[in-house]
Amino acid sequence: MKLLRLALRTLRREWHLPELRTLAASLVLAVVALGVVATLAARIERGMLASAAELIGGDIGIGSPQTLPAKFAAAGRQRGLTTTDTASFPSVAFAHRQTQLLDVLASDKHYPLRGTLQLSDAAGHAYNGHAPSPGQVYLDHRALVALNLKVGQPLQLGGRELTIAAELLRQPDGGELLALAPRALMSLTDAEQAGLLGAGSRARHRLLLAGTPAAVQDWRGWVQKTALPQGAELITPEQTQQRMRTAFDRAGAFLRLTALLSALLAGVAIALAAQRYARRKTSEVALLRALGTSRRRVLGLLLGTLGALALPAATLGLLLALALSQLAWLLANQLFTNMPTALPLVPSLAAAAMGIAVLIGFALPPLARLAEVPPVAVFRQSVTRRVRRFDALYLIPVLVALGLIWSQSGSLKLAGILAASLFGVALVAALLAACLLWLARRVAPGAHPALRLGLAALARRRSLSLIQATALSLGLCALLLLAVVAPALLQGWRQELPADTPNWFALNLEDDQRAGFAHDLAVIGGQQLNMLPLAVGKLTAINGTPIDRLHFSDPRAAEWADRQLRLSWSGKLPPSNKVIAGQWAGPDPAQPEVSIDTRWRDMFGMKIGDRLSFNVGEGSLDARVGSIRQVDWSSFRVNFFLLFDPAHAGGLPHTWLASFYLPPGHARPLAKLSRAYSNLSLIDVDSLLGRVREIVDRVGNAVRWILGFSLLAGALVLAAALAASAAERRHEAALLRTLGARRHQLRAAAACEFALLGLVAGLTAALGAAGAGLWLGHAVFHIDSFVPPPWPLALAALGAALVVMLLGLAGTRKVTRTPPMRLLREE
Amino acid sequence: MNDSSRSLLEACDVSKSVSGPEGRLDILRHVDLRIRPGESFAIVGASGSGKTTLLGLLAGLDTPDSGSIQLDGHALEQLDEEARANLRRRLVGFVFQSFHLLPALTAEENVMLPLELEGSSAARPRARTALEAVGLGARRRHYPAQLSGGEQQRVAIARAFVHGPRVLFADEPTGNLDQRTGHHVCDLLFALNRDHQTTLVLVTHDAALAARCDRRIELDEGRVLTTVAGTPA
Repeated sequence: MKLLRLALRTLRREWHLPELRTLAASLVLAVVALGVVATLAARIERGMLASAAELIGGDIGIGSPQTLPAKFAAAGRQRGLTTTDTASFPSVAFAHRQTQLLDVLASDKHYPLRGTLQLSDAAGHAYNGHAPSPGQVYLDHRALVALNLKVGQPLQLGGRELTIAAELLRQPDGGELLALAPRALMSLTDAEQAGLLGAGSRARHRLLLAGTPAAVQDWRGWVQKTALPQGAELITPEQTQQRMRTAFDRAGAFLRLTALLSALLAGVAIALAAQRYARRKTSEVALLRALGTSRRRVLGLLLGTLGALALPAATLGLLLALALSQLAWLLANQLFTNMPTALPLVPSLAAAAMGIAVLIGFALPPLARLAEVPPVAVFRQSVTRRVRRFDALYLIPVLVALGLIWSQSGSLKLAGILAASLFGVALVAALLAACLLWLARRVAPGAHPALRLGLAALARRRSLSLIQATALSLGLCALLLLAVVAPALLQGWRQELPADTPNWFALNLEDDQRAGFAHDLAVIGGQQLNMLPLAVGKLTAINGTPIDRLHFSDPRAAEWADRQLRLSWSGKLPPSNKVIAGQWAGPDPAQPEVSIDTRWRDMFGMKIGDRLSFNVGEGSLDARVGSIRQVDWSSFRVNFFLLFDPAHAGGLPHTWLASFYLPPGHARPLAKLSRAYSNLSLIDVDSLLGRVREIVDRVGNAVRWILGFSLLAGALVLAAALAASAAERRHEAALLRTLGARRHQLRAAAACEFALLGLVAGLTAALGAAGAGLWLGHAVFHIDSFVPPPWPLALAALGAALVVMLLGLAGTRKVTRTPPMRLLREE
Repeated sequence: MNDSSRSLLEACDVSKSVSGPEGRLDILRHVDLRIRPGESFAIVGASGSGKTTLLGLLAGLDTPDSGSIQLDGHALEQLDEEARANLRRRLVGFVFQSFHLLPALTAEENVMLPLELEGSSAARPRARTALEAVGLGARRRHYPAQLSGGEQQRVAIARAFVHGPRVLFADEPTGNLDQRTGHHVCDLLFALNRDHQTTLVLVTHDAALAARCDRRIELDEGRVLTTVAGTPA
């Protein structure tokens, strides 16, 4: 208690010292950077899970080919979760002597638990509702048109006569892109009584649950410990919206890296400030020791002071992080509709803890060594420091840095890559700075006096110069990546998708409609029409072994094996596909061949030469795996996991999937066309693509300024380095002033010093950003022709030199005003 | 009036005080002195007597609260810091107790500094000549850390003389040196002073050093106690 009081008193007395202020500012910055990113990431994660829950119709669920045992629903209800049972199956409906195959969803009255079921009554008024009561059914527009029915009329489904109570406009889990048949929603009771769900049915059952996140998590944990029935699997929000997730994951990883960089740079500033503080306190500690204070007590006092500084600074950082993340969330308003928008506190608290760990980790070594100053140092300054070749204490900041990298990257491998990359940039910066200093020695004799003095100043503080150059390089590198490389990459990506990339899909086109549709589409201005056959079938055997006798270690494989698959065939390799193993079969191979996507290879462990058997309608097909393709699923083109050769698959029952480009503003004639072909389903790819882009843009805009943190951290290192060298600079300035140097000469020397430092940092950052851009372009965006823009990067490097020069001049303004008399006083 | 009777440096009724926690503290009180061109002049006194403050005022590093200081006909108290810096660059050289060499510059580069500040185009050869004059021509590429204390002070003396100042101020020039080295450095200082016809003003505790000067004054609590003619070496 006494020690704490003493520590508080010390802090109050020493608060004016720039070192302590730098320590506090660094901690605040680290907590804010880590906290804002983590809080926003948590919120976006929550928002995404919630919007995914809307697509599922519940927070979580189990899908199964058989009826699920009641214990799963009971366990949910025990935990306060609401539950609903659904079953989906194909069934034929009859009306007006017409038949139509429908995708039927049967559910109890609680469906949906999340999201909305949009219906329309006989008068065409839209409303939100729940599943139909027994005796009623909802049909979508295609089903009504196909069966020539209206709301209020009866139809036969599964041997029961049901009344159409409403038109189905939108249902939560109806979001699948390529829904094949018209849809119907009926009561589960009716479906059970009609025997549609009995043994031998192709129904897929679902139990959906919803409730508080804690209860959902608890139930999920229970399910994971309980054996699921054969073929059943968990349905989680994480599995949905994969494409959007990928975009967010990439953005999130980049932002986390930026926050991490800011925190590490803040750590460097902390280390510099702590070193300076320790130097300043050396004689005081020697005196305390000489007066009989124990080493332990000195260390306690130093750590107490540090703690008294850390707690309020971390709290301030925490509050700022919460406020800024709330602001960013408001800026990205309406990102997700109907979302729980409570501000999560845990990520910011964790950031505060990490910030304190950074402060202690980076400040501890010099302070611990300070406590070891021997009492005899009051007489002789030279005994204050024992020089060690290796000081194990300095492993602490390294370990803290590695721990931070690991905690932010989430995987040891990624942490290793990150640490190596940071080390690489630091090494390049250090090498460039060292080269510059070496060059300085060569050029200096003939250089302008101001330049020579500037170079001499850099050389005098060699290690400090290297640290400054490295820290500024890292901060600038992050900024250049976002400001220069990322827009160029996005531009490149957009150029990869030509302007006339298909923006509409039409499904369910029959053979005899193809010619007429092509003609009518051309009349309204449709271009780039491409038609692909589309068949629906099931995988029945692999290498002659029936699928139900095979065991798959990957649960996704079991799911796919049980599913209706979309199959197609083509003589040419489609765009955005690349054969990575085997050979593309071409239009007419000697025996049936199938090309599989890498995901199938991984799930089933398939290889070239394997034989796959399929049932398609009444027919079947045995094909050899002839090639394996890598498919760019983010290309917004029609792609298939399984592609056959046309010579052998052409005879299978199929419809056609048309993709075409229709310039904007042709919606009305297209609507007319769709009425003429009422069995067609039209999908507007532009609006899907637009939605993804819009969300990514909004998130990007909301969080772009987070990048500023890394630059701010770089500036903080510069400030800490300036503070660390202030006394030395003042001494030099006083000497030069005594020798008659004019103020502008001192300023010119400082300008040269900082411009050179900025140039090294800018150049390293530009090289680093260009390297990262090249890697991103090739490995992530798959744009082989991408070259980072050299001129903007070069200009940015020069701009960095200018900014660092101005910052340095601002930071040394007082120094150039040092009164020369100071030199005599220092004697 | 011939050149030797005219004073190069003159202080008239100079006072200087500082404000401290316990009020105003007078450091110099009504100091009068005149130093002729080519004269060597010592300021002695106990610690805190105001020696260094007086040296700083005479060299134009600071300005008095009252009174006047004339350096080569320029009233220093009427000039701003930039103008005084100009004057120092042209007329003044310094030798300090702690040498004050820049550690990242070689001996030659340190000596070049005053010449570079005035924009001299022949800084390097002149610095070389100055180093040779103090016997360190062979060590011009050495850094201060590679030189002994005596050698560092000789570099500082070369730096002080290199641009041909009219007056040289030395603050305890032997304070950080052993007796023998201090003696050698003093010999050098006086010899160069004589050769260059420079006026030498030095502050020292060393009575023997003060005795080698043409004149010396003793300060006590900011007042001139005595003025004594020395015994020229």
